[in-house]
Amino acid sequence: MPLIEVQHLTKAWRKDKPALDDVSFEVGYGQIVGLLGHNGAGKSTVLGITLGMVRPDKGEVRIGGESVQKNRAKALQQIGAIFEAPVFYDYLSGWQNLRVLCSLSGWWDEQEARRILKMVNLLDRAGHKTSTYSHGMRQRLALAQALMPRPKCLLLDEPTDGLDPEGIREFREFVLKLKNDFGMTILLNSHLLAEVELMCDRCVILKEGRKVYEGPVPSKDAGEARYRIESPDLEKARALAAQFGAAIHADGAVDLPPDILGHEFVRRLVEAGVRVESWQKNRRTLEDCYLELTGPNA
Amino acid sequence: MTLLLSQWRAEWLKLLMRKRTYIGFGAFIAMELVILFVAQRQGPETFYRRMIERQGGMFESHFSALTLGFLVLAFSAALLGSIYLALVSGDIVAKESEDGNLRLLLARPVSRLRLLAVKYATCTCYAWLLIQFIAWSAFALGVYMRGFGGGMFVFAPEQGLAELWDWDEGLRRYAMCSVFLGASMTTVSSVAFFFSCFRIKPAAATIAALSYMLVDTILLRTNLLSSYEYLLITTYLESWVRVFVEPIPWALLARNYSVIAAVNISLFALGTAWFCSRDLKS
Repeated sequence: MPLIEVQHLTKAWRKDKPALDDVSFEVGYGQIVGLLGHNGAGKSTVLGITLGMVRPDKGEVRIGGESVQKNRAKALQQIGAIFEAPVFYDYLSGWQNLRVLCSLSGWWDEQEARRILKMVNLLDRAGHKTSTYSHGMRQRLALAQALMPRPKCLLLDEPTDGLDPEGIREFREFVLKLKNDFGMTILLNSHLLAEVELMCDRCVILKEGRKVYEGPVPSKDAGEARYRIESPDLEKARALAAQFGAAIHADGAVDLPPDILGHEFVRRLVEAGVRVESWQKNRRTLEDCYLELTGPNA
Repeated sequence: MTLLLSQWRAEWLKLLMRKRTYIGFGAFIAMELVILFVAQRQGPETFYRRMIERQGGMFESHFSALTLGFLVLAFSAALLGSIYLALVSGDIVAKESEDGNLRLLLARPVSRLRLLAVKYATCTCYAWLLIQFIAWSAFALGVYMRGFGGGMFVFAPEQGLAELWDWDEGLRRYAMCSVFLGASMTTVSSVAFFFSCFRIKPAAATIAALSYMLVDTILLRTNLLSSYEYLLITTYLESWVRVFVEPIPWALLARNYSVIAAVNISLFALGTAWFCSRDLKS
Protein backbone atom coordinates (compact mmCIF):
# COMPACT_ATOMS: atom_id res chain seq x y z
CA MET A 1 0.00 0.00 0.00
CA PRO A 2 1.38 3.46 -0.87
CA LEU A 3 2.01 5.95 1.94
CA ILE A 4 0.43 8.89 0.13
CA GLU A 5 -2.54 8.43 -2.19
CA VAL A 6 -3.69 11.47 -4.08
CA GLN A 7 -7.07 10.58 -5.51
CA HIS A 8 -8.91 12.51 -8.23
CA LEU A 9 -8.12 15.96 -6.87
CA THR A 10 -10.07 18.75 -8.48
CA LYS A 11 -9.91 22.35 -7.36
CA ALA A 12 -10.91 25.59 -9.04
CA TRP A 13 -9.96 28.96 -7.61
CA ARG A 14 -11.93 30.54 -10.41
CA LYS A 15 -14.88 28.91 -12.15
CA ASP A 16 -13.42 29.19 -15.64
CA LYS A 17 -9.96 27.82 -14.85
CA PRO A 18 -9.40 24.71 -12.75
CA ALA A 19 -6.21 24.73 -10.70
CA LEU A 20 -6.36 20.94 -10.53
CA ASP A 21 -8.31 18.67 -12.81
CA ASP A 22 -8.69 15.09 -11.63
CA VAL A 23 -5.11 14.62 -10.46
CA SER A 24 -4.21 11.24 -8.97
CA PHE A 25 -0.87 9.73 -8.05
CA GLU A 26 0.77 7.67 -5.36
CA VAL A 27 3.93 7.87 -3.30
CA GLY A 28 5.22 4.52 -2.13
CA TYR A 29 7.00 3.87 1.17
CA GLY A 30 10.66 4.84 1.05
CA GLN A 31 10.42 6.61 -2.29
CA ILE A 32 11.39 10.14 -3.23
CA VAL A 33 8.83 11.47 -5.67
CA GLY A 34 9.27 14.78 -7.45
CA LEU A 35 6.31 16.99 -8.26
CA LEU A 36 7.08 19.09 -11.31
CA GLY A 37 5.31 21.70 -13.35
CA HIS A 38 5.40 25.30 -14.49
CA ASN A 39 4.31 28.14 -12.21
CA GLY A 40 0.57 27.81 -11.77
CA ALA A 41 0.54 24.15 -12.77
CA GLY A 42 -1.06 23.24 -9.45
CA LYS A 43 1.90 21.84 -7.48
CA SER A 44 1.41 24.06 -4.45
CA THR A 45 -2.33 23.40 -4.53
CA VAL A 46 -1.60 19.67 -4.35
CA LEU A 47 0.66 20.24 -1.34
CA GLY A 48 -1.91 22.59 0.23
CA ILE A 49 -4.59 19.93 -0.09
CA THR A 50 -2.21 17.26 1.20
CA LEU A 51 -1.66 19.36 4.33
CA GLY A 52 -5.38 20.15 4.72
CA MET A 53 -4.83 23.88 4.17
CA VAL A 54 -6.84 23.88 0.97
CA ARG A 55 -10.18 22.17 0.52
CA PRO A 56 -10.53 20.24 -2.74
CA ASP A 57 -13.73 20.52 -4.78
CA LYS A 58 -13.49 16.80 -5.43
CA GLY A 59 -11.19 13.95 -4.44
CA GLU A 60 -9.10 13.39 -1.36
CA VAL A 61 -5.59 12.69 -0.13
CA ARG A 62 -4.88 9.70 2.09
CA ILE A 63 -1.74 9.43 4.16
CA GLY A 64 -1.06 5.99 5.60
CA GLY A 65 -4.68 5.12 4.86
CA GLU A 66 -6.07 8.16 6.76
CA SER A 67 -7.98 10.74 4.79
CA VAL A 68 -6.61 14.26 5.26
CA GLN A 69 -10.03 15.69 4.48
CA LYS A 70 -11.86 13.48 7.01
CA ASN A 71 -9.29 12.97 9.74
CA ARG A 72 -6.69 15.64 9.26
CA ALA A 73 -5.02 15.46 12.67
CA LYS A 74 -4.40 11.73 12.45
CA ALA A 75 -3.23 11.88 8.84
CA LEU A 76 -0.81 14.75 9.52
CA GLN A 77 0.79 12.94 12.45
CA GLN A 78 2.70 10.99 9.83
CA ILE A 79 4.25 13.89 7.94
CA GLY A 80 6.55 16.83 8.36
CA ALA A 81 6.63 19.76 5.95
CA ILE A 82 9.08 22.37 4.76
CA PHE A 83 8.13 25.39 2.72
CA GLU A 84 10.07 27.63 0.41
CA ALA A 85 11.63 30.47 2.46
CA PRO A 86 10.57 29.14 5.87
CA VAL A 87 9.25 31.78 8.25
CA PHE A 88 9.97 31.52 11.96
CA TYR A 89 9.22 33.78 14.90
CA ASP A 90 12.25 36.03 14.61
CA TYR A 91 12.01 37.22 18.19
CA LEU A 92 12.37 33.63 19.45
CA SER A 93 15.47 31.43 19.42
CA GLY A 94 15.72 28.38 17.20
CA TRP A 95 15.11 26.20 20.24
CA GLN A 96 12.01 28.18 21.29
CA ASN A 97 10.66 28.01 17.75
CA LEU A 98 10.98 24.23 17.85
CA ARG A 99 9.17 24.09 21.19
CA VAL A 100 6.32 26.25 19.90
CA LEU A 101 5.90 24.14 16.77
CA CYS A 102 6.21 20.83 18.60
CA SER A 103 3.59 21.89 21.15
CA LEU A 104 1.08 21.72 18.30
CA SER A 105 2.01 18.11 17.62
CA GLY A 106 1.75 17.28 21.30
CA TRP A 107 5.27 15.90 21.19
CA TRP A 108 8.47 17.13 22.78
CA ASP A 109 11.59 15.20 23.66
CA GLU A 110 14.57 17.32 24.61
CA GLN A 111 17.11 14.57 23.88
CA GLU A 112 15.61 13.98 20.46
CA ALA A 113 15.53 17.72 19.76
CA ARG A 114 19.25 17.96 20.54
CA ARG A 115 19.98 14.92 18.38
CA ILE A 116 18.11 16.34 15.40
CA LEU A 117 19.63 19.81 15.80
CA LYS A 118 23.04 18.17 15.85
CA MET A 119 22.13 16.16 12.78
CA VAL A 120 21.25 19.35 10.86
CA ASN A 121 24.35 21.02 12.27
CA LEU A 122 22.49 23.70 14.20
CA LEU A 123 22.95 22.70 17.82
CA ASP A 124 25.50 25.45 18.53
CA ARG A 125 23.19 28.18 17.28
CA ALA A 126 19.93 26.83 18.69
CA GLY A 127 19.94 29.38 21.51
CA HIS A 128 20.26 32.36 19.14
CA LYS A 129 17.31 34.31 17.81
CA THR A 130 16.27 33.17 14.33
CA SER A 131 16.50 36.79 13.12
CA THR A 132 20.27 36.23 13.15
CA TYR A 133 20.07 33.07 11.01
CA SER A 134 21.15 32.90 7.38
CA HIS A 135 18.80 31.46 4.77
CA GLY A 136 20.63 28.15 4.88
CA MET A 137 20.35 27.97 8.67
CA ARG A 138 16.63 28.71 8.48
CA GLN A 139 16.24 25.91 5.97
CA ARG A 140 18.10 23.55 8.32
CA LEU A 141 15.89 24.62 11.21
CA ALA A 142 12.88 24.00 8.97
CA LEU A 143 14.20 20.52 8.32
CA ALA A 144 14.70 19.97 12.05
CA GLN A 145 11.13 21.04 12.89
CA ALA A 146 9.78 18.81 10.11
CA LEU A 147 11.64 15.84 11.60
CA MET A 148 10.57 16.53 15.16
CA PRO A 149 7.37 14.52 15.32
CA ARG A 150 9.32 11.56 13.84
CA PRO A 151 7.33 11.54 10.60
CA LYS A 152 7.17 8.74 8.07
CA CYS A 153 7.11 11.24 5.25
CA LEU A 154 8.42 14.70 4.40
CA LEU A 155 6.74 17.19 2.11
CA LEU A 156 9.33 19.57 0.69
CA ASP A 157 8.04 22.64 -1.12
CA GLU A 158 10.84 24.26 -3.13
CA PRO A 159 13.28 23.48 -0.30
CA THR A 160 16.45 24.58 -2.09
CA ASP A 161 15.09 27.90 -3.33
CA GLY A 162 17.52 30.66 -2.44
CA LEU A 163 20.27 28.32 -1.20
CA ASP A 164 23.79 28.66 -2.56
CA PRO A 165 25.24 25.68 -4.51
CA GLU A 166 27.00 24.36 -1.43
CA GLY A 167 23.77 24.63 0.57
CA ILE A 168 21.85 22.86 -2.18
CA ARG A 169 24.34 20.01 -2.22
CA GLU A 170 24.32 19.74 1.57
CA PHE A 171 20.54 19.70 1.61
CA ARG A 172 20.38 17.07 -1.15
CA GLU A 173 22.83 14.80 0.63
CA PHE A 174 20.87 15.12 3.86
CA VAL A 175 17.59 14.25 2.17
CA LEU A 176 19.16 11.24 0.46
CA LYS A 177 20.56 10.15 3.81
CA LEU A 178 17.07 10.36 5.31
CA LYS A 179 15.82 8.12 2.57
CA ASN A 180 18.69 5.63 2.57
CA ASP A 181 19.31 5.39 6.32
CA PHE A 182 15.83 5.88 7.71
CA GLY A 183 13.61 4.80 4.84
CA MET A 184 11.92 8.19 4.81
CA THR A 185 9.32 8.81 2.12
CA ILE A 186 9.61 12.22 0.48
CA LEU A 187 7.38 14.24 -1.81
CA LEU A 188 9.47 17.00 -3.36
CA ASN A 189 8.01 20.00 -5.13
CA SER A 190 10.79 21.69 -7.07
CA HIS A 191 11.52 23.79 -10.11
CA LEU A 192 15.07 22.49 -10.29
CA LEU A 193 14.97 19.59 -12.71
CA ALA A 194 18.58 18.66 -11.99
CA GLU A 195 17.74 18.33 -8.29
CA VAL A 196 14.77 16.13 -9.03
CA GLU A 197 16.89 14.03 -11.37
CA LEU A 198 19.54 13.53 -8.69
CA MET A 199 17.19 12.90 -5.80
CA CYS A 200 13.98 11.35 -6.99
CA ASP A 201 13.03 7.79 -7.88
CA ARG A 202 9.83 8.81 -9.58
CA CYS A 203 8.21 12.00 -10.70
CA VAL A 204 4.81 13.44 -11.43
CA ILE A 205 4.53 16.23 -13.97
CA LEU A 206 1.59 18.61 -13.93
CA LYS A 207 0.54 20.94 -16.69
CA GLU A 208 -2.27 23.46 -16.23
CA GLY A 209 -3.75 21.44 -13.41
CA ARG A 210 -3.60 18.09 -15.19
CA LYS A 211 -1.22 15.22 -14.67
CA VAL A 212 0.75 14.63 -17.86
CA TYR A 213 3.30 12.14 -16.55
CA GLU A 214 3.74 9.78 -13.65
CA GLY A 215 6.54 7.28 -13.57
CA PRO A 216 10.24 6.78 -13.09
CA VAL A 217 12.52 9.75 -13.58
CA PRO A 218 13.18 9.34 -17.33
CA SER A 219 16.98 9.40 -17.12
CA LYS A 220 16.89 6.60 -14.55
CA ASP A 221 14.59 4.39 -16.56
CA ALA A 222 16.74 1.69 -18.15
CA GLY A 223 13.97 0.81 -20.59
CA GLU A 224 14.21 4.24 -22.13
CA ALA A 225 17.95 3.93 -23.03
CA ARG A 226 18.91 4.81 -26.59
CA TYR A 227 22.27 5.22 -28.29
CA ARG A 228 23.97 7.74 -30.50
CA ILE A 229 26.54 6.87 -33.14
CA GLU A 230 29.07 9.01 -35.00
CA SER A 231 30.50 7.46 -38.13
CA PRO A 232 31.74 8.61 -41.56
CA ASP A 233 30.05 5.45 -42.96
CA LEU A 234 26.57 6.28 -41.69
CA GLU A 235 24.73 5.11 -44.82
CA LYS A 236 26.51 1.74 -44.72
CA ALA A 237 25.79 1.46 -41.01
CA ARG A 238 22.14 2.28 -41.58
CA ALA A 239 21.81 -0.48 -44.20
CA LEU A 240 23.43 -3.00 -41.87
CA ALA A 241 21.29 -1.87 -38.96
CA ALA A 242 18.16 -2.50 -40.99
CA GLN A 243 19.29 -6.11 -41.41
CA PHE A 244 19.45 -6.51 -37.62
CA GLY A 245 16.06 -4.88 -37.10
CA ALA A 246 17.61 -1.67 -35.76
CA ALA A 247 17.22 1.89 -37.04
CA ILE A 248 19.73 4.73 -37.27
CA HIS A 249 18.20 8.19 -37.58
CA ALA A 250 19.67 11.14 -39.46
CA ASP A 251 20.89 12.76 -36.23
CA GLY A 252 22.76 9.55 -35.29
CA ALA A 253 20.20 8.33 -32.75
CA VAL A 254 19.95 4.53 -32.76
CA ASP A 255 16.90 2.45 -31.88
CA LEU A 256 17.81 -1.13 -31.06
CA PRO A 257 15.47 -4.10 -30.91
CA PRO A 258 15.19 -5.53 -27.38
CA ASP A 259 17.23 -8.66 -28.19
CA ILE A 260 20.41 -6.80 -29.24
CA LEU A 261 22.71 -5.19 -26.70
CA GLY A 262 24.55 -1.98 -27.53
CA HIS A 263 28.08 -3.36 -27.47
CA GLU A 264 27.01 -6.36 -29.59
CA PHE A 265 25.54 -4.06 -32.23
CA VAL A 266 28.76 -2.02 -32.41
CA ARG A 267 30.84 -5.22 -32.71
CA ARG A 268 28.70 -6.34 -35.68
CA LEU A 269 29.08 -2.94 -37.37
CA VAL A 270 32.87 -2.92 -36.88
CA GLU A 271 33.17 -6.54 -38.11
CA ALA A 272 31.23 -5.47 -41.22
CA GLY A 273 33.81 -2.72 -41.86
CA VAL A 274 31.96 0.32 -40.58
CA ARG A 275 34.23 2.89 -38.96
CA VAL A 276 32.71 3.90 -35.62
CA GLU A 277 34.17 7.11 -34.20
CA SER A 278 31.87 7.46 -31.25
CA TRP A 279 29.21 5.31 -29.57
CA GLN A 280 27.41 6.53 -26.48
CA LYS A 281 24.23 6.11 -24.56
CA ASN A 282 21.71 8.72 -25.50
CA ARG A 283 19.18 8.72 -22.69
CA ARG A 284 16.33 11.15 -22.61
CA THR A 285 16.99 13.52 -19.74
CA LEU A 286 14.31 14.69 -17.38
CA GLU A 287 14.55 18.07 -19.07
CA ASP A 288 13.83 16.48 -22.48
CA CYS A 289 10.88 14.64 -21.07
CA TYR A 290 9.62 17.66 -19.12
CA LEU A 291 9.79 20.01 -22.10
CA GLU A 292 8.23 17.40 -24.34
CA LEU A 293 5.29 17.05 -21.97
CA THR A 294 4.81 20.64 -20.90
CA GLY A 295 6.18 22.67 -23.78
CA PRO A 296 4.00 24.59 -26.24
CA ASN A 297 3.93 21.68 -28.68
CA ALA A 298 2.84 19.13 -26.08
CA MET B 1 -5.77 18.90 28.77
CA THR B 2 -1.97 18.73 29.18
CA LEU B 3 -1.65 19.19 25.43
CA LEU B 4 -3.92 22.22 25.51
CA LEU B 5 -1.91 23.72 28.36
CA SER B 6 1.39 23.19 26.57
CA GLN B 7 -0.08 24.87 23.47
CA TRP B 8 -1.35 27.74 25.60
CA ARG B 9 2.08 28.09 27.20
CA ALA B 10 3.65 28.24 23.74
CA GLU B 11 1.19 30.98 22.73
CA TRP B 12 2.08 32.96 25.85
CA LEU B 13 5.77 32.52 25.05
CA LYS B 14 5.17 34.04 21.62
CA LEU B 15 3.16 36.90 23.10
CA LEU B 16 5.53 37.69 25.94
CA MET B 17 8.67 37.62 23.80
CA ARG B 18 7.38 40.36 21.51
CA LYS B 19 8.29 43.95 22.28
CA ARG B 20 4.87 45.14 21.08
CA THR B 21 3.22 43.31 23.98
CA TYR B 22 4.87 45.68 26.43
CA ILE B 23 4.09 48.95 24.66
CA GLY B 24 0.74 49.10 26.46
CA PHE B 25 2.36 48.59 29.86
CA GLY B 26 4.96 51.29 29.25
CA ALA B 27 2.46 53.73 27.76
CA PHE B 28 0.15 53.38 30.72
CA ILE B 29 2.85 54.04 33.28
CA ALA B 30 3.66 57.26 31.39
CA MET B 31 -0.04 58.11 31.08
CA GLU B 32 -0.68 57.46 34.77
CA LEU B 33 2.19 59.70 35.77
CA VAL B 34 0.80 62.50 33.59
CA ILE B 35 -2.78 62.11 34.90
CA LEU B 36 -1.69 61.89 38.50
CA PHE B 37 0.58 64.90 38.09
CA VAL B 38 -2.11 66.98 36.35
CA ALA B 39 -4.78 65.94 38.87
CA GLN B 40 -2.72 67.53 41.62
CA ARG B 41 -2.31 70.86 39.86
CA GLN B 42 -4.33 73.73 41.15
CA GLY B 43 -7.20 73.71 38.59
CA PRO B 44 -8.22 70.05 38.83
CA GLU B 45 -7.49 70.01 42.54
CA THR B 46 -9.86 72.93 43.11
CA PHE B 47 -12.51 71.18 41.03
CA TYR B 48 -12.15 67.97 43.05
CA ARG B 49 -12.08 69.87 46.35
CA ARG B 50 -15.41 71.51 45.42
CA MET B 51 -16.97 68.21 44.30
CA ILE B 52 -15.84 66.29 47.39
CA GLU B 53 -16.94 68.98 49.81
CA ARG B 54 -20.30 69.26 48.05
CA GLN B 55 -20.80 65.53 48.79
CA GLY B 56 -19.95 66.18 52.44
CA GLY B 57 -16.44 64.74 52.39
CA MET B 58 -13.04 66.15 53.27
CA PHE B 59 -10.68 66.80 50.39
CA GLU B 60 -7.54 65.87 52.36
CA SER B 61 -8.80 62.37 53.16
CA HIS B 62 -11.03 61.58 50.15
CA PHE B 63 -8.64 62.78 47.44
CA SER B 64 -6.66 59.59 48.00
CA ALA B 65 -4.72 56.91 46.14
CA LEU B 66 -8.04 55.14 45.41
CA THR B 67 -9.59 58.32 44.00
CA LEU B 68 -6.57 58.85 41.75
CA GLY B 69 -6.63 55.19 40.71
CA PHE B 70 -10.30 55.47 39.75
CA LEU B 71 -9.53 58.66 37.85
CA VAL B 72 -6.94 56.82 35.75
CA LEU B 73 -9.30 53.90 35.09
CA ALA B 74 -12.27 56.10 34.23
CA PHE B 75 -10.47 58.46 31.89
CA SER B 76 -7.79 56.37 30.25
CA ALA B 77 -8.22 52.62 30.57
CA ALA B 78 -11.18 52.28 28.22
CA LEU B 79 -9.82 54.57 25.51
CA LEU B 80 -6.08 54.04 25.60
CA GLY B 81 -6.45 50.43 26.75
CA SER B 82 -8.60 49.71 23.69
CA ILE B 83 -5.78 50.81 21.41
CA TYR B 84 -3.25 48.42 22.90
CA LEU B 85 -5.67 45.54 23.20
CA ALA B 86 -6.75 45.98 19.58
CA LEU B 87 -3.10 46.16 18.57
CA VAL B 88 -2.22 42.84 20.22
CA SER B 89 -5.44 40.98 19.36
CA GLY B 90 -5.62 42.33 15.82
CA ASP B 91 -2.17 40.87 15.25
CA ILE B 92 -2.74 37.50 16.77
CA VAL B 93 -4.01 35.71 13.64
CA ALA B 94 -3.61 38.25 10.84
CA LYS B 95 0.10 38.89 11.49
CA GLU B 96 0.96 35.19 11.49
CA SER B 97 -1.09 34.73 8.36
CA GLU B 98 0.64 37.65 6.63
CA ASP B 99 4.15 36.63 7.71
CA GLY B 100 3.65 32.99 6.75
CA ASN B 101 4.01 31.45 10.22
CA LEU B 102 0.53 29.97 9.95
CA ARG B 103 1.65 27.59 7.20
CA LEU B 104 4.17 25.94 9.51
CA LEU B 105 1.62 25.84 12.33
CA LEU B 106 -1.10 24.34 10.19
CA ALA B 107 1.25 21.73 8.74
CA ARG B 108 1.04 20.22 12.24
CA PRO B 109 -1.66 17.80 13.34
CA VAL B 110 -3.68 20.47 15.10
CA SER B 111 -7.16 21.62 14.21
CA ARG B 112 -7.78 25.23 13.25
CA LEU B 113 -10.45 25.44 15.96
CA ARG B 114 -7.96 24.44 18.64
CA LEU B 115 -5.32 26.79 17.28
CA LEU B 116 -7.74 29.72 17.36
CA ALA B 117 -9.18 28.77 20.76
CA VAL B 118 -5.69 28.90 22.24
CA LYS B 119 -5.01 32.26 20.59
CA TYR B 120 -8.36 33.68 21.72
CA ALA B 121 -7.83 32.51 25.30
CA THR B 122 -4.42 34.15 25.26
CA CYS B 123 -5.56 37.53 23.98
CA THR B 124 -8.57 37.73 26.32
CA CYS B 125 -6.37 36.84 29.30
CA TYR B 126 -3.89 39.46 28.13
CA ALA B 127 -6.73 42.02 28.08
CA TRP B 128 -7.69 41.17 31.63
CA LEU B 129 -4.10 41.23 32.84
CA LEU B 130 -3.37 44.57 31.19
CA ILE B 131 -6.35 46.13 32.98
CA GLN B 132 -5.19 44.64 36.28
CA PHE B 133 -1.78 46.13 35.66
CA ILE B 134 -3.29 49.56 34.90
CA ALA B 135 -5.56 49.46 37.95
CA TRP B 136 -2.93 48.39 40.44
CA SER B 137 -0.05 50.41 39.04
CA ALA B 138 -2.27 53.52 39.16
CA PHE B 139 -3.16 52.63 42.74
CA ALA B 140 0.52 52.12 43.62
CA LEU B 141 1.48 55.48 42.11
CA GLY B 142 -1.46 57.05 43.96
CA VAL B 143 -0.17 55.57 47.23
CA TYR B 144 3.25 57.00 46.43
CA MET B 145 1.75 60.47 45.87
CA ARG B 146 -1.05 60.60 48.46
CA GLY B 147 -0.07 57.91 50.95
CA PHE B 148 -2.01 54.84 52.15
CA GLY B 149 -5.46 55.33 53.70
CA GLY B 150 -8.09 58.04 53.71
CA GLY B 151 -11.34 57.68 51.79
CA MET B 152 -12.45 57.43 48.20
CA PHE B 153 -14.39 59.73 45.94
CA VAL B 154 -15.94 58.23 42.82
CA PHE B 155 -17.02 60.68 40.17
CA ALA B 156 -18.49 59.35 36.90
CA PRO B 157 -20.77 62.01 35.39
CA GLU B 158 -21.79 59.79 32.43
CA GLN B 159 -23.33 57.33 34.85
CA GLY B 160 -24.54 60.02 37.25
CA LEU B 161 -22.21 58.81 40.01
CA ALA B 162 -20.67 60.98 42.71
CA GLU B 163 -20.12 58.80 45.80
CA LEU B 164 -17.91 58.89 48.87
CA TRP B 165 -16.49 55.71 50.40
CA ASP B 166 -14.33 54.91 53.37
CA TRP B 167 -10.92 53.33 52.67
CA ASP B 168 -11.75 49.67 53.32
CA GLU B 169 -15.00 49.59 51.36
CA GLY B 170 -13.44 51.79 48.66
CA LEU B 171 -10.53 49.38 48.28
CA ARG B 172 -12.90 46.41 48.09
CA ARG B 173 -14.99 48.10 45.41
CA TYR B 174 -11.86 49.25 43.56
CA ALA B 175 -10.68 45.63 43.42
CA MET B 176 -14.09 44.55 42.16
CA CYS B 177 -14.19 47.30 39.54
CA SER B 178 -10.77 46.23 38.22
CA VAL B 179 -12.10 42.69 37.74
CA PHE B 180 -15.26 43.88 35.98
CA LEU B 181 -13.41 46.42 33.82
CA GLY B 182 -11.00 43.64 32.82
CA ALA B 183 -13.97 41.51 31.78
CA SER B 184 -15.46 44.43 29.82
CA MET B 185 -12.23 45.00 27.93
CA THR B 186 -12.11 41.40 26.72
CA THR B 187 -14.77 42.51 24.24
CA VAL B 188 -12.30 44.90 22.60
CA SER B 189 -9.96 41.92 22.22
CA SER B 190 -12.79 39.81 20.86
CA VAL B 191 -13.69 42.40 18.22
CA ALA B 192 -10.04 42.71 17.13
CA PHE B 193 -9.66 38.91 17.14
CA PHE B 194 -12.78 38.60 14.99
CA PHE B 195 -11.37 40.94 12.33
CA SER B 196 -7.98 39.24 12.59
CA CYS B 197 -9.53 35.96 11.41
CA PHE B 198 -10.29 37.44 7.99
CA ARG B 199 -7.87 37.69 5.09
CA ILE B 200 -6.77 41.12 6.22
CA LYS B 201 -3.62 43.05 7.13
CA PRO B 202 -2.95 43.11 10.88
CA ALA B 203 -3.08 46.92 10.93
CA ALA B 204 -6.44 46.80 9.17
CA ALA B 205 -7.79 44.40 11.82
CA THR B 206 -6.64 46.77 14.57
CA ILE B 207 -8.11 49.84 12.86
CA ALA B 208 -11.40 48.05 12.09
CA ALA B 209 -11.76 47.01 15.74
CA LEU B 210 -10.95 50.49 17.05
CA SER B 211 -13.30 52.10 14.54
CA TYR B 212 -16.13 49.83 15.61
CA MET B 213 -15.56 50.57 19.29
CA LEU B 214 -15.27 54.33 18.71
CA VAL B 215 -18.38 54.53 16.53
CA ASP B 216 -20.28 52.54 19.15
CA THR B 217 -19.11 54.87 21.94
CA ILE B 218 -19.85 58.03 19.93
CA LEU B 219 -23.36 56.79 19.12
CA LEU B 220 -23.97 56.15 22.80
CA ARG B 221 -22.53 59.46 23.97
CA THR B 222 -24.39 61.61 21.45
CA ASN B 223 -27.71 59.94 22.30
CA LEU B 224 -28.44 59.58 18.60
CA LEU B 225 -29.69 56.07 19.22
CA SER B 226 -31.15 56.61 22.67
CA SER B 227 -34.06 54.25 21.92
CA TYR B 228 -31.65 51.57 20.74
CA GLU B 229 -28.98 51.85 23.41
CA TYR B 230 -29.37 48.19 24.17
CA LEU B 231 -27.86 47.46 20.75
CA LEU B 232 -24.67 49.37 21.53
CA ILE B 233 -21.99 47.26 23.19
CA THR B 234 -20.56 50.27 25.06
CA THR B 235 -23.77 50.34 27.12
CA TYR B 236 -22.78 47.01 28.61
CA LEU B 237 -19.04 47.63 28.75
CA GLU B 238 -19.55 50.58 31.10
CA SER B 239 -21.29 48.40 33.67
CA TRP B 240 -18.07 48.10 35.69
CA VAL B 241 -18.75 51.56 37.19
CA ARG B 242 -21.94 50.13 38.72
CA VAL B 243 -19.93 48.39 41.45
CA PHE B 244 -19.71 51.84 43.06
CA VAL B 245 -23.50 52.11 43.36
CA GLU B 246 -24.98 51.31 46.76
CA PRO B 247 -26.35 48.67 46.89
CA ILE B 248 -24.50 46.96 44.04
CA PRO B 249 -27.07 46.12 41.31
CA TRP B 250 -26.02 42.48 40.97
CA ALA B 251 -28.93 41.56 38.73
CA LEU B 252 -28.04 44.33 36.29
CA LEU B 253 -24.37 43.34 36.37
CA ALA B 254 -25.25 39.69 35.79
CA ARG B 255 -27.43 40.60 32.81
CA ASN B 256 -24.91 42.99 31.29
CA TYR B 257 -21.96 40.64 31.70
CA SER B 258 -24.02 37.80 30.25
CA VAL B 259 -24.55 40.00 27.19
CA ILE B 260 -20.79 40.71 27.08
CA ALA B 261 -20.02 36.97 27.36
CA ALA B 262 -22.54 36.21 24.60
CA VAL B 263 -21.04 38.87 22.33
CA ASN B 264 -17.52 37.53 22.98
CA ILE B 265 -18.54 33.95 22.27
CA SER B 266 -20.39 35.01 19.12
CA LEU B 267 -17.39 36.98 17.84
CA PHE B 268 -15.08 34.03 18.53
CA ALA B 269 -17.48 31.58 16.85
CA LEU B 270 -17.99 33.77 13.78
CA GLY B 271 -14.29 34.56 13.39
CA THR B 272 -13.35 30.92 13.82
CA ALA B 273 -16.04 29.70 11.43
CA TRP B 274 -14.77 32.09 8.78
CA PHE B 275 -11.14 31.14 9.38
CA CYS B 276 -11.92 27.41 9.29
CA SER B 277 -13.69 27.79 5.96
CA ARG B 278 -10.76 29.65 4.42
CA ASP B 279 -8.32 28.09 1.99
CA LEU B 280 -4.81 29.00 3.08
CA LYS B 281 -3.14 29.33 -0.26
CA SER B 282 0.57 29.95 -0.31
